[in-house]
Amino acid sequence: MKKTIMKSAIGGLAAAGLMFSAAVSYADDTLRIVSWGGAYQKGQSLGIFQPAAKAMGITVKEDTYGGISDVKLMVKSGADKFDIFSSGAGSCASGAAEGVLEKLDYSVIDVSNHLPGMYSDYCAGADIFSVVAAYNTETYGEGNGPKTWADFYDVEKFPGTRAMRNKVDGQLETALLADGVPKEQVYEVLDSEEGIERALDKIRSIKPHIAVWWSSGAQHAQLMKDGEVDMTTGWNGRFDVAKEDGAKVAYDWQSGIMDWEGYGIPKGAKNKDLAMKYIAEMMKPEYMAEFAKYITYGPTNGKVYELGLMEESRARMMPSHPDNAKYQLTISQDWYAKWRTIAAEMYTEMMTE
Amino acid sequence: MNETSLNISIREVTKKYDQFYALKDVSLEIKSGEFMTLLGPSGSGKTTLLMVLAGFTNPDYGSVKFGDEEVILKPPHLRGIGMVFQNYALFPHMTVEQNVGYPQKLRGVSAAETKRSVEEALNTVKLEGLGHRGINELSGGQRQRVALARAIVFKPKILLMDEPLSALDKKLREEMQIELRQLHDTLNMTTVYVTHDQKEALTMSDRITVINHGELMQLGTPNEIYEHPNNHFIADFIGESSLLPVAIRDGKASLNGEKIVMAEKAEKDGDYLLVVRPEKAFLADKKVKGSNYFSGKLIDSIFQGESQLLVVKLNSNDDGQEVRVRVPNESVTQKALPEVGQTVSIGLKVADSYVVS
Amino acid sequence: MTIVEAEKLNQKGLQKVAANERFTFFGLTLPYLIMVTALIVIPVGWLFYLSFIGRDGSFSFENYERMMKSKAYIRIFITTFKISILTTIICAAIGYPLAYFMSQLSRKWANICMIGVLIPFWTSLLVRTYAWLVLLQKKGLLNNMAIEMGLITEPIKIVHNTTGTLIGMVHIMLPFLILPLYANMRSIDKDTLKAASSLGATPTRAFWTVFFPLSLPGLLAGLLIVFVLCLGFYVTPAILGGGRVIMAAMKISSNIELYFSWGAASALGVVLLVVTGIILFIASKLVSMDQLGNR
Repeated sequence: MKKTIMKSAIGGLAAAGLMFSAAVSYADDTLRIVSWGGAYQKGQSLGIFQPAAKAMGITVKEDTYGGISDVKLMVKSGADKFDIFSSGAGSCASGAAEGVLEKLDYSVIDVSNHLPGMYSDYCAGADIFSVVAAYNTETYGEGNGPKTWADFYDVEKFPGTRAMRNKVDGQLETALLADGVPKEQVYEVLDSEEGIERALDKIRSIKPHIAVWWSSGAQHAQLMKDGEVDMTTGWNGRFDVAKEDGAKVAYDWQSGIMDWEGYGIPKGAKNKDLAMKYIAEMMKPEYMAEFAKYITYGPTNGKVYELGLMEESRARMMPSHPDNAKYQLTISQDWYAKWRTIAAEMYTEMMTE
Repeated sequence: MNETSLNISIREVTKKYDQFYALKDVSLEIKSGEFMTLLGPSGSGKTTLLMVLAGFTNPDYGSVKFGDEEVILKPPHLRGIGMVFQNYALFPHMTVEQNVGYPQKLRGVSAAETKRSVEEALNTVKLEGLGHRGINELSGGQRQRVALARAIVFKPKILLMDEPLSALDKKLREEMQIELRQLHDTLNMTTVYVTHDQKEALTMSDRITVINHGELMQLGTPNEIYEHPNNHFIADFIGESSLLPVAIRDGKASLNGEKIVMAEKAEKDGDYLLVVRPEKAFLADKKVKGSNYFSGKLIDSIFQGESQLLVVKLNSNDDGQEVRVRVPNESVTQKALPEVGQTVSIGLKVADSYVVS
Repeated sequence: MTIVEAEKLNQKGLQKVAANERFTFFGLTLPYLIMVTALIVIPVGWLFYLSFIGRDGSFSFENYERMMKSKAYIRIFITTFKISILTTIICAAIGYPLAYFMSQLSRKWANICMIGVLIPFWTSLLVRTYAWLVLLQKKGLLNNMAIEMGLITEPIKIVHNTTGTLIGMVHIMLPFLILPLYANMRSIDKDTLKAASSLGATPTRAFWTVFFPLSLPGLLAGLLIVFVLCLGFYVTPAILGGGRVIMAAMKISSNIELYFSWGAASALGVVLLVVTGIILFIASKLVSMDQLGNR
């Protein structure tokens, strides 16, 4: 059976890494953490994982993984590969629903200063990111590209090739926003198969212009870098990193859809107590501020802004900065818990048409 | 020339590979309807010559004519020859019938006529009733016959055969030799037959061409080749023979200092080899005029069924030259055979005494 | 009166020797039997079993019902077979002449060519696939060169679609076609072609009536290997297909993610296995392997 791990080179390395790490038994002061690789994990490693480990005097081994399904398979098969994983809020919630996660102990982990809704029973929020419409500045000119989702779906005003995700997550919202649904009503409309179908029809209307259905953040960043498509949906931080690397890419916060990422612990993790303490350490504002220097994913801990740990210019680049957040729709974890599988199958059907 | 066969005229055919001549200025006339055997050891060029006739090997220069027609520039499929290969080269994916009918199909012969001619060809090679068999179900001898039937079904005027019997066991081979000869006599096509087996060549051929190192050594009837070999290579290669060094000085021949009498006077003085065929030599009780005699020690005596082969080491010979003598298996002489270790006297009639260079 | 049959000379001893030999031969096949059981029979059986397990863990047809309900599954299977068949055909069209050419060379040169054929095997599939992406993309090497040379004015779309997927898959699959085909062609007695030619067949005729039929077993073996391997492809269509070419293996993977259960994925595997089995069965009926093997 082919696993999700095989999706990318990074995934392949992860498989080897996981097998290797599984064969080694770790001391009590060692934790194993997995994340998504690429620019994102580089930021986590330099800004959070290693400084926090150093502060606690423990060893943290890092690896990449293929997503919440890996957690599920690991727990169900009784394997022991990692103690903590970095995951999107929605994925974490679905893992929790499957009963494969440890409940987090908020007497150990301090989330009192977290922004509202930025943590759950099974997932301690660490950073905030946005799905945005990124465009090629060579094609459209800096600031003249699609600013809103309505622009993204307007193939006459903005001719060019597009890319969207090969999974439903974070995509249907763009269609309804483009269709004129106010952000407050997006999830109301989506709360039925007809609503989902309405969103899919909107995507169908631009399907001939969708050249690529991307499968990872690294891929959509590469697509923009290579000029393979003129615009794409994707995660803001990846585009900022690509831009620093010289990619001709820009996006506007008017298209933002806010979501958050956090840490979870697989059920039966060997070093559960230490993992809990380590997550508590990682929640400290100084790590989040440091992380945000590497990639433009904003802190969940409000203290970062209060204490002025971030320079104003950098803070303005964060999805969660009030000036940016004001435009944005926040992803509804409840909607995904209810509709995810149905919507995903309908989305695949639309893709294969 | 008649309807069923063509003469073949080969002139100055030469084929060189790097520094080595596979064929060197080979010229040969093969008569219409003749059974001609190309005989030679492996690597002698006999197969190359056959491949030149078939069109699979192009010589560097030379001419090959079938009848009056120059064919050297013609591709194989236009030469209209029948050919039988060493390992039969049957088509394993076709039945016997399909194999034999293949050339007819290519020639656009009607189904009915193909069926008739295939049956006829199978009858000729004594395979009637096996048409529906697969090639895998046949014995080696049967496959040989299918290959033959396939080569003659379209009545080619020239039939080429490349060591066709070499894969068969001895008894079957000897049977097939006679059958092939009879087949040739019936169909009367010009046949060029390649073999390294001198006995086979002697049995089957009208004439034999002996080839070595890409050159023609001798051309003649089996009798001529056997009885009057041109040189020591042929004398040695054809039949069994013991070659004894003979010096001819002032027209007089001597073997190890002893004078011998030759059937024919040598043209020139020099060193020659006396050809002693085992069946021509005989054990001599007493010396009678008209024969040469050599004495020696019997070192081996081998019973071979139809004859007894005696190996005699000549006395007055430093090299210990051996002469073989074949004594027919007749009840009278059998009794009188000498014991190993005994000294014996061997005779050779003057008429059978000849030398080669 | 009872007749006690006397034991013939060494009869019992020789029977024992024969029995020992049989046992040894059985012993030699044992590792294979164990392997087949452990690696094929049990997993496939397990796959069938899992495909009937619903999300709540009880026996259920829900995994199959889901496939009936959504047109996406049918389309994915059609894509899977379409891509596999096209890849197989293109491999044959490219591989057959190449294998033929190699089979006519001397062993030495043929071996050098064979190394050329096998070199791609030395590189990982992932690396080769990404290399194609770099070559074929909109601003990739191929498009840039063609534009530079004035062959085209606008970049042509040769990746992130079926074309790109086929290019990548043919490149990876070609050796699998060539290896059995070349071995088969080598074993064809060259004298049979000479025989055909001496019997009056033009080179073309000799090829089609003799060489081609004799090469069919190798060709079919190659086609079969390529076709079956293609059905399970994941990486290449995922990367070069740009999400527009969705094959069964990719859906299997995404179903594990989506449903968190082996069942949803197993059912896809079972359907793929069964449909493949049916296709191969029909193919074997159409082309009698017995007849081809008759040599």
